[in-house]
Amino acid sequence: MIEVENLTKVFVDVPVVDEVTFFVPEGQILGFLGPNGPGKTTVMRMITTFLAPTKGRVVVAGIDADIDGVALRRQVGYLPENVPLYPEMRVDEYLRFRADIEEIPRSRQAARMNDVLERCLLTEVHRQVIGTLSKGFRQRVGLASALIHEPPVLILDEPTVGLDPNQIIKVRELITELGRDHTVLLSTHILPEVEEICERVLIIDRGRIVADGTPDGLRSRTAGLPTLNIQLKGASDAEASEALAGIPGITSATGGVDGRFRLEHEAQKDPRESVFRLAVERGWSLLEMTPGKASLEDVFVRLTTNDDNEDFEPEA
Amino acid sequence: MQKIFAVTRRELIAYFSSPLAYMVMTAFLLLQGLVFYLVLAILSDPSTPAMAPLEAFFGGTIFFWFYLLFVVPVITMRLVAEERRSGTLEVLLTSPLTEGQIIAGKFVAAFVFYIALWLPTALYVIILRQHSTIDMGPVLAGYLGVAMLGFLFLGIGTFASTLTENQLIAAILAFVGLIALFVAPLVEQLLVSGSVFKTALVHMNLFAQMEDYAMGIIDTRHIVYEVSVGLLFLFLATRSLELGKGR
Repeated sequence: MIEVENLTKVFVDVPVVDEVTFFVPEGQILGFLGPNGPGKTTVMRMITTFLAPTKGRVVVAGIDADIDGVALRRQVGYLPENVPLYPEMRVDEYLRFRADIEEIPRSRQAARMNDVLERCLLTEVHRQVIGTLSKGFRQRVGLASALIHEPPVLILDEPTVGLDPNQIIKVRELITELGRDHTVLLSTHILPEVEEICERVLIIDRGRIVADGTPDGLRSRTAGLPTLNIQLKGASDAEASEALAGIPGITSATGGVDGRFRLEHEAQKDPRESVFRLAVERGWSLLEMTPGKASLEDVFVRLTTNDDNEDFEPEA
Repeated sequence: MQKIFAVTRRELIAYFSSPLAYMVMTAFLLLQGLVFYLVLAILSDPSTPAMAPLEAFFGGTIFFWFYLLFVVPVITMRLVAEERRSGTLEVLLTSPLTEGQIIAGKFVAAFVFYIALWLPTALYVIILRQHSTIDMGPVLAGYLGVAMLGFLFLGIGTFASTLTENQLIAAILAFVGLIALFVAPLVEQLLVSGSVFKTALVHMNLFAQMEDYAMGIIDTRHIVYEVSVGLLFLFLATRSLELGKGR
């Protein structure tokens, strides 16, 4: 649905986006992840034709941005970063304005407006002046206006930034629901958000794609050996550390504060039974034992701080 | 067309929901009223040469230019600059609107506001008709001149507004542009007669053009000049929006 090929944008000799290529199939929710910086927004602005690429090609729903930008924009609902709105307009005035410029015939406008007002839970504020609304409501007005023309493709730039936790949950639920019948490209720097709503993640750093895959796939490919977190009671830390490291399959035992240890073990050998037996033998109480899940955070930190990512091959 | 009028309507909502519109209108009408009073007072004095009061009102006084040169930048300064500052320009440029439609919609709104500013002065005509007979031809021609000069000036102001995201800078740029256009033809008097340059400047003299309108002379050369230069700047405004996308 979204095709991006060798996309490059140079601002005053500095490439902000550098040879970015990816494809988003119909119906996918793709999370665009990256450290703070201009890369993500610039890619989105080029897809929506707000910026022209220095080099490369953008095709959305089969329409090339260079050939017919207006037709491409009809296919896209875009929520820019910081949700720019006209503070002096009422919610319904603004939605009607958007419906007009999106070429929705007058006869269908009322139905479309009711639909998006309901979907974005805005019905009770539809006569309010936008400038008097809270940040969460404004975010939803932005979303509603991006949906008014029923675009098959949604591009959302940091849709949950600046919201309180309750509002974040509401907006995420809404996006997940929208993902059922839209192709969604969303950018964020909040990792749990990606884990929760995206089927696929694309990590961009200094203008280049450094990782591409499902959240689970990325974790297993880049985070190293599986880990096990345990807590023991009644053991001296030094003794326990030595005994644990001696268990076959365990490659390292780190920690040892308050009896807490982090064990790294070979992927095929589950050491949990051995750890349990060891504890019984020595008369220690086992207070906790949980398999560690490498967080996407680890993956992210590894990929965006390491200078050579040459060993990484994007997942097809 | 639906799209252009949507932009125009939104722009008019913005004008009339800000205090600026009412301040401009009040100041404009106060000044107009004062000038109208002065014109009548001076012409009532038997020692001054006979002249139609509305002829003096349109372009006959320096005040006319004073507020035209000030008011137009204030009307146009926010058109694009404010959208750029608040980020809503991104919304417009990623909708199916073209750059030309955005500029057209905004310009029409500015023009409507400008005409609305002048409408109350029609009362002066009504008041004068109660007390004397007036020749309506020159009056209507005067209003046509006001509209045509407005077209030209608002076009320049619209272009200035696309160049920056700061309304004040947009207003100053427009003001400088208008002053230059207004003053440059006066240089003509310093040039030797017969040069092409001098002839061109004579045709560009807005003061003289407005005097013609006020006397009831509708010269199509003036109209062509005002409309074509206005359109040229609207075209430049469109190009300026397109260039913002970069390469």
